[in-house]
Amino acid sequence: MKEMAPSVPIHLASGLEDGSIGTDVTRILEAIEAVDKEALILSDIGSATMNAELAVDMYEGEKTVQFYDGPIVESAFVASVSAGNGMDVAQIVEQLKMA
Amino acid sequence: MLTIEGFKQALRHAQSEIEANKDTLTDLDRAIGDGDHGINMSRGFEAVVAVLDDDYATLGDLSKKVGMTLMSKVGGAAGPLYGSAFVKAAPKFGDATEADFNLVKEALVEAATAIKARGKSEVGQKTMVDVWDPFLSDLNESDDFDAKLDQLVGATEDMVATKGRASYFGENSRGTVDPGALSSSIVLKAIMKEVE
Repeated sequence: MKEMAPSVPIHLASGLEDGSIGTDVTRILEAIEAVDKEALILSDIGSATMNAELAVDMYEGEKTVQFYDGPIVESAFVASVSAGNGMDVAQIVEQLKMA
Repeated sequence: MLTIEGFKQALRHAQSEIEANKDTLTDLDRAIGDGDHGINMSRGFEAVVAVLDDDYATLGDLSKKVGMTLMSKVGGAAGPLYGSAFVKAAPKFGDATEADFNLVKEALVEAATAIKARGKSEVGQKTMVDVWDPFLSDLNESDDFDAKLDQLVGATEDMVATKGRASYFGENSRGTVDPGALSSSIVLKAIMKEVE
């Protein structure tokens, strides 16, 4: 994805503090903090999805933060290419729903 | 009455019971999930015990801190579920430094509502909701809390999972107690013991 859309920042928020498997909502919130204006969050399964939704609920800043529940690899691919083409998060989510 | 010290004691008690049941929780989860519930709960409650040495002015402050700790330390689905439960119970406790049975019940109802919302689940799906919801729906101060909780955990054995990882097992999920129901009973027993 970095090759397809080199201008699109992608932050990994998976794993726990010590690197073990799982998701930590504070790491997702840090990833949201790390982006400029808009963030699209994707997840793989169950607990990651729940933590992603939790992060969206907990985020209190001004950025547009959206979660999309879909297949992570395909969604990430479509989203990064679309973002690279200048689409905003709302447009990307529409794009993902059609994909 | 649940005091701040009593709440702390309940959480320490919950941690030691989770530790004692760690393998059982993991085995149940291995049968109908991904086998990490014991490890996750153990890691989460160890982190909770570590924050209990701090001073808290109110039950609300303590509940919020516990929830935030569980959210970031548990790792699996139990993190956002238990985390949201304690965080959402916090405003109900508010500035109180001790809570009677009714206030504890109200706070736990908030917690159960948060679990249902976060997990998008309802009663009958073989999840922790099958303990939280019926336990609180007709809870009286004179009830035998432990017996009621044991019965609710046991009742998940015959259910078929329609939510969470266990739902992938379909009909094969029948015959195994839900691990989240068991861990919920441990936490609720510990809390109710301090209310008595």
